[in-house]
Amino acid sequence: MLDQAKTPFEIRDYIRQQLFPHFMCPGCGHGIALRALLWAIHDLGIAKDDLAIVSGIGCSGRIGAYIDANTFHTTHGRPLAFATGLKLARPDLHVIVITGDGDCLAIGGNHLIHACRRNLDITCLMLNNEIYGMTGGQVSPTTSSDRYTTTTPEGNYEPVFDACKLAQGAGAGFVGREMTLQTPSLKKLIQQGIAHPGFSFLEVISDCTEIYGRKNDLGESAEMVLSQKADFRSASYGMIADEVFQPRNVKTGVLYKDDRPEYAQAYRQKIASRAKK
Amino acid sequence: MSSVQNIQGNHACALAAVAAGCRFYAGYPITPSSEIAERMSVELPAVNGIFVQMEDEIASMGAIIGASMGGAKTMTATSGPGFSLKQENLGYAAATEVPCVIINVMRGGPSTGMPTRPAQGDVMQARWGTHGDHPIIVLTPWSVQEIYQQTLRAFDLSEALRVPVVVLIDEVIGHLVESVDLAKMNTGNPVERKWADSSQEDFQPYAHTEDLVPPMPRPGDGYRTHTTGLTHAENGFPTQDPEVANRVISRLLQKLEHHNDLVECVNQSDCKDAEIVIVAYGITARAAQSAKQQLQGEGVKVGIFRPITLWPFPQQTFSEAIANARLVLVPEMNAGQLIVEIERYRNDSTRIIGLNRYDGEPISPQQIFNKVKEVLQDA
Amino acid sequence: MSETQIRLSGSGGQGLQLAARILVSGLALEGRNISLSQSYEPTSRGGLSRSDLVVGSSTGYPLVSAIDYLVILDQIAVENSLGLIKNDSTVIVDSERVDSPPDGAHTTISLALIQTAREIGNVRAANVVSLGVLAGLSGICSQKSLLQAIRDTVPARFIDLNLEALARGYALVSAEKSKDTQLTAVS
Repeated sequence: MLDQAKTPFEIRDYIRQQLFPHFMCPGCGHGIALRALLWAIHDLGIAKDDLAIVSGIGCSGRIGAYIDANTFHTTHGRPLAFATGLKLARPDLHVIVITGDGDCLAIGGNHLIHACRRNLDITCLMLNNEIYGMTGGQVSPTTSSDRYTTTTPEGNYEPVFDACKLAQGAGAGFVGREMTLQTPSLKKLIQQGIAHPGFSFLEVISDCTEIYGRKNDLGESAEMVLSQKADFRSASYGMIADEVFQPRNVKTGVLYKDDRPEYAQAYRQKIASRAKK
Repeated sequence: MSSVQNIQGNHACALAAVAAGCRFYAGYPITPSSEIAERMSVELPAVNGIFVQMEDEIASMGAIIGASMGGAKTMTATSGPGFSLKQENLGYAAATEVPCVIINVMRGGPSTGMPTRPAQGDVMQARWGTHGDHPIIVLTPWSVQEIYQQTLRAFDLSEALRVPVVVLIDEVIGHLVESVDLAKMNTGNPVERKWADSSQEDFQPYAHTEDLVPPMPRPGDGYRTHTTGLTHAENGFPTQDPEVANRVISRLLQKLEHHNDLVECVNQSDCKDAEIVIVAYGITARAAQSAKQQLQGEGVKVGIFRPITLWPFPQQTFSEAIANARLVLVPEMNAGQLIVEIERYRNDSTRIIGLNRYDGEPISPQQIFNKVKEVLQDA
Repeated sequence: MSETQIRLSGSGGQGLQLAARILVSGLALEGRNISLSQSYEPTSRGGLSRSDLVVGSSTGYPLVSAIDYLVILDQIAVENSLGLIKNDSTVIVDSERVDSPPDGAHTTISLALIQTAREIGNVRAANVVSLGVLAGLSGICSQKSLLQAIRDTVPARFIDLNLEALARGYALVSAEKSKDTQLTAVS
């Protein structure tokens, strides 16, 4: 652990300021998630040189570029595949994947379940804003029922994924969820996830104010974020009838944790036992 | 004692990869390439390497790029449908200039096609399968010995030029067992990647260096650079500035031409005085070689032009080789792919003729012999 | 030494690929260059199986184009080789499983290969009986090298069986030769 952990967290120490102003829309929850991540890294004493951020495509994928570390912006849905190669080749690096609900659960769903199953020591941060923001607001696997998107003009009729249940079912050694509203809790969860020796899946409840929020009349960013706390979407806005939105009963915090053998360790043990024969 | 062994093509490929320094393999089972993965799962752990069977072809390609970004020499092997699935990430490797080797043991297509039958239908896909203008090197060995040599060379080219290299192997050669002397072929001196070692201050990961191949920053060495498939400026960050985009893409596209002395590899015989030149690659070139002996026995002036490096196509060397030929015959186990490229370089007096077969059987020496006799009679 | 093209064919599960590996191993002991290609089909039992060997290729072409010695252990394999048989080819067929061997001017020898294997206790040894016949007729590889090849290639518990199968193959050739003087010339 570096001495940095003893000093107060200063976000400017961890970001590439030369890229500012950043691309995120006003009110986007991803910036809060980014801050929480960097804060966790600071407190864990991880050196920036030893940090590898692997991201996919979409709004979530773009935030990796702002981190002053070894950053890899890969292809849509594939960051876990790239990260698997990187971590296996370089066990000395802390590999953190930043992905979104579309990137991780739709186009990258197969990679997610197998990354969970393998239980390689990677931290996967899935920023869930319930929408494909970068492409203009199409329905995603986590878009809530009856929400309007550019591809569900009559409201969403598809069931949603519970990403955390999926990750746990697929074998992730550490599963947690937190809201951007509670940055210190989010930071703590990320810290625990990174420290866990195995695959950790962390769902971050983010918000897309500009596209999703406006399309569904969910209010300004503060209102959207506060609605996370209420554990259900406020019913007081606009055209959608109150009864449509049920309380989501979203559980937060550490949802699952076990000490299943980590993949690279299991691999090396197997090879060592073969060499002895 | 002689070091000659009887060895299968796919097996030779795996051994060459390890000899070249490959220490990471990710793959997915697919006929007729699976023996390569099976062999790598035995060989790599013995040299402290990593073998991983991924959930699909896309992930395999992603994983080898990820491992290569970390500094390992990496390879994957596949066939037809799997090669299609790899194209997206292959383009990423080309754009981000991450070295990696992709083996495609070709089988009959289209689609699932004929999994156990030979074909050469992926020639154009190997060049243009991923979207956008991009550099790529494609090698076509014609024997088990050459699978070994060209796999070694694939790693050397990939590492030296920071470009993905595809080795197209015919199914029949992948599964052929031949007597080869591997010890003689391994130079034991593989090319190592040019790693960044200059000042970390203002380091430009995609600098326009004189040799057009910028040194690669290794994670952990303090450069902390950004890698992205988005069009990126010399500093590695995305750009949409037309002037910058033109400049950086141009460097990418000129890279291989600049190093043509390394990239080009042609085997030609008797082309200079030939009235008919046969252009062939892989097993088809061996049929042509066999037919040529028979034809020369009958006094036919025939030459063979065999582009071992198929892409980039050796256009200059080819134009010179056919300067005196009246006829060019292009036998291919497809409906006519390389012939399209060849037609671009013909001179006005040369006739280009195809000999094509896509029924899952190799083109035989007799077929080529007959075709040459036929076209000479017509001409 | 001149080029010799050999095909061992039959149905999947008859052990022809192992027989080819033994032959390749024997030829390697004698310093011969070989090319071995094998049929490679989605089904591994019952369907057509063949192993092709080009020994000492004169043109460098590794695939069989005109067979000198053809072994057929099952009727299913007959059709695949039609067109590759020359007038001076020798075709060795199993008398039990091959009812209609290929027609033509070539020499056809029908022998109780499978029955011989059965007699020594394992029908699966027909592959190596055939190999003994092939080697006895063609002289492509010495018996000494093949014996060594069996020891190098076959799992330990099957070595004795295969050594006997090879000897029985050679014996079939001797018996045949004593009946037919024409065959003496072939070897």
